[in-house]
Amino acid sequence: MYPDKYYGVLIMEKREININRAEVIRFLGYREKRPGKDIMEIIDECEKALQEVMMPAFTFRILGLRHTYDGITVMGTDLTLEGEDISRHLSGCDRCALMAATISVGADRLIKSYEAQDMTKALIADAVASAAVEALCDEAVTEISNRTRSFLTWRYSPGYGDLSLDIQPVLLDVLDAHRQVGITLGENNIMIPRKSVTAIIGLSNRSLDLGRQSCEKSCKYCNLRYRCAYSEY
Amino acid sequence: MTGKLKTLFDKKQIIILDGAMGTMLQQKGLKMGELPEKLNLDRPEWLIDIHKQYINAGSDIVYTNTFGANRLKLKRCGCSVEETVRAAVKNARAAVEGTDTLVALDIGPIGQMLEPTGTLSFEEAYDIIKEQIIAGSEADLIVFETMSDLYELKAGVLAAKENSDLPIICTLTFENNLRTFTGTSISSSALTLESLGIDAIGVNCSLGPKELYPIVEEMSKWTNLPLVVKPNAGLPDPVTNEYDCSPEEFTELVKAFIPLGVKFIGGCCGTSPEFIRQVCEMTSGASYAPQHNEIPSAVCCATNTVVIDQPRIIGERINPTGKKRFKEALLAGDIDYILSQAIEQTDAGADILDVNVGLPSIDEKAMMIRAVKELQGVVDVPLQIDSTIPEVLEAALRIYNGKPIVNSVNGEEKSLSAVLPLVKKYGAAVVGLTLDENGIPKKAEERFAIAKRILDRALAIGIRKEDVYIDCLTLTASAEQENVYETVKAVEMVKTKLGLRTVLGVSNISFGLPNRELVNCNFLQMALTKGLDLPIMNPNITSMTGAVRAYKLLMNIDVNSVDFISHYSGQEDKPKQVSGEKTSMDLPSAVASGLKAECRSITKELLKTTEPMEIVNTMLIPALDRAGAEFEKGKLFLPQLIQTASASQVCFEVIKEHILATGEKTVSKGKIILATVKGDIHDIGKNIVKVLLENYGYDVLDLGRDVDCQLVVDEAIKNEVPLVGLSALMTTTLGSMETTVKLLKEQYPECKIMVGGAVVTPDYAEQIGADYYANDAKESVDIARKVFGN
Repeated sequence: MYPDKYYGVLIMEKREININRAEVIRFLGYREKRPGKDIMEIIDECEKALQEVMMPAFTFRILGLRHTYDGITVMGTDLTLEGEDISRHLSGCDRCALMAATISVGADRLIKSYEAQDMTKALIADAVASAAVEALCDEAVTEISNRTRSFLTWRYSPGYGDLSLDIQPVLLDVLDAHRQVGITLGENNIMIPRKSVTAIIGLSNRSLDLGRQSCEKSCKYCNLRYRCAYSEY
Repeated sequence: MTGKLKTLFDKKQIIILDGAMGTMLQQKGLKMGELPEKLNLDRPEWLIDIHKQYINAGSDIVYTNTFGANRLKLKRCGCSVEETVRAAVKNARAAVEGTDTLVALDIGPIGQMLEPTGTLSFEEAYDIIKEQIIAGSEADLIVFETMSDLYELKAGVLAAKENSDLPIICTLTFENNLRTFTGTSISSSALTLESLGIDAIGVNCSLGPKELYPIVEEMSKWTNLPLVVKPNAGLPDPVTNEYDCSPEEFTELVKAFIPLGVKFIGGCCGTSPEFIRQVCEMTSGASYAPQHNEIPSAVCCATNTVVIDQPRIIGERINPTGKKRFKEALLAGDIDYILSQAIEQTDAGADILDVNVGLPSIDEKAMMIRAVKELQGVVDVPLQIDSTIPEVLEAALRIYNGKPIVNSVNGEEKSLSAVLPLVKKYGAAVVGLTLDENGIPKKAEERFAIAKRILDRALAIGIRKEDVYIDCLTLTASAEQENVYETVKAVEMVKTKLGLRTVLGVSNISFGLPNRELVNCNFLQMALTKGLDLPIMNPNITSMTGAVRAYKLLMNIDVNSVDFISHYSGQEDKPKQVSGEKTSMDLPSAVASGLKAECRSITKELLKTTEPMEIVNTMLIPALDRAGAEFEKGKLFLPQLIQTASASQVCFEVIKEHILATGEKTVSKGKIILATVKGDIHDIGKNIVKVLLENYGYDVLDLGRDVDCQLVVDEAIKNEVPLVGLSALMTTTLGSMETTVKLLKEQYPECKIMVGGAVVTPDYAEQIGADYYANDAKESVDIARKVFGN
């Protein structure tokens, strides 16, 4: 009933994430210029506080794919992926990794508490938390890559391109994400903890075209590509 | 506990639960991501078979297949809660027929996060679980399992107790840092749930029996209830997803739990009937070892337990009495002000916060609910619910997440019979005031007698002695000097003769005297030496908090002076605070540099000679304009812009206090409503806009996030605001923005609307009929200036 190979890895222990400082600075809107000493000090403070309260965790599963006219079926599950963008993303892939990662509600609480006392800190802590969950996702991808020894596409998340966010409830259930890592889903398919990510990564034994390789992040199919502050367009 | 479980309890030493349900269903063909609860209707024979396998293996209790059978999850398959749960109970009943095995109604987490971190309200959670409880009324007991949010569990326990007479078992899921994913601690869950009156408590899932041992060991220190353990079959192998414990190892490991007071044993993920069979065999001769721990006096929020084994500071500042600025905040519904007061106190060293929002002209109950809900989202300390109205106390106790203190009951019959039952029902601790219908007795002996009366009444209805704290009442030294020492004497009597914890509002002692701080500080020290545990005081006054810390050092409570040194070492080297001192800097440059302390002192100084409006128009706004212009040019970045705005906010706060004190004209340039639309919880953008608008002199009525569409309209009309700002961050919530705009245009067409947020575009703004699109916070100020013409 299950595909031959099926993995699930969790990281549950409270531990530090290696947060990319350049990413934090980019999220804060700085481009060429670097922030001054005072802002850098607040970033340090926020990062320290965040590392204290986070409980980073991720989980993933490797599942077979069946490409059909109606979309891509994820084998052994109730999940079908529909849309041109996801089809293009997963073409040539016979398996995928479904993943969910979160830095936990501790981050939400910290940011909320900063909002009540100092908006500068809240804004900066939010950027640090965003960079933290990105770094955690990178760790998950490394883990997936090490375990599967396959060629990986970059992380494709529901709601991106024409893949509907409506698959989120089933995707999270397939991963048993609430129990495994504590991710909940609200009425509008918004995940809480807020700094949580779900993603679909294509796996192939053959090399993939460069645009889809895991080291590339693409703005190409993003709905916000022409107006996002961080876009390459 | 009554009925069948009681019989089972008395008959059997160790009670055997069942093993995994999900794993068994997947073996029968359930696909991942499918709802297992639907199978109750589609495949009853599968369920009956699984239950029977566990019954044959020796389970005394089987759980129904209803883990996710709530209305939110079932929506996906179109089944009703009633038909699903009834079918599940019927399947289990069919399986247990002819045996002694009992049926437990299984309830797992709802799957949505409760407020204030999430959007699901406590009341809604209660309602959802209530529906499950009623549908499952044919079960023999109720089990909540795999819970990670204490708040949700409290809603569940209340729903169970108020809608059924069945016994209740709660098991939570902890990770190996001894917390659940929501941060709930072991001590907090044990204290809170035992006080709420459940029948057994424990842990399930997440880890294997080996890893769960320290968790159960910790739990056994905080409760004398029978414990429940339902571990996974070890840890899953990352490659095969097979669990690493064999039934033999599992059985050997769970044996170790019995001396901790474990009475219920079963299995979770990865376990099978074989595990249960072996556990059943192993325990057949074992005895239940009930625990007789002394559970200390303690209160808690979900994440933090405060044990009253040494002086703990209760912060008194959330209280409008004698505070004009606080009253104004209550009248305006300015919750942020209350939150800032809370954080200031906990930063200063408060262990517990008193919350009093009583003001004749407001709806105290509604305000109390809102304040408690918001406070528990941002502070990490237990709360003391302070009101004279039992109805307000009850409303707050209901929605409090943890074990709070009730302030207060007194020796009057009316108070005793109204307040103590609430304390018992909601599992709180209570402050007992030593006064009655005859007022406050003068002599210590008389106050002691009232304390004794309160204690006896509390004990009679089942409140633990450890949960009664007595306030011997401070009288002012200026009016009743001869009785000051009677209070101190009464504290000592209550402490030594009744063995109760004591609480005392310290600050009243000096009312009407000069140098109040000196008097307060000395009175505090006198009382501490005589046994005061819980001073209610202003923790922001450093000498007061310092007195408590020094007392703990000198009494060898703060062993090796660790706490004291961490607070005070190196302090001598730091330059003195600038507040109150003259500085050569001018206000615009202090604002531009984001120096809050300087902003405060310069503004105070300026107000002696300058009109408030002039400060706003000639100094604050130009400084902000300059920052805004640089931000637009890309010379300044968002964190710096917000820093400038926050510094300017400090100036506004000083000006506001000045105006309240002198009764001068306000500096308001007009009122604006801001809201993050229904369904959306991302409100950092809206909050940035708010800070900036406030600093340009606008009054912002912040309706928060996830705001009902019609509520925006109602508030706009009620407050006659000319401008409403709406924010949305997710594409899925743009619909709510459109609806809100539509409703506003229909019911209040003269009101202008500006919209913004990550996914909003100028085209979209126009399409849904908004008047303005704001690209960033700076633009929202430009729009406000245009609308208000200032």
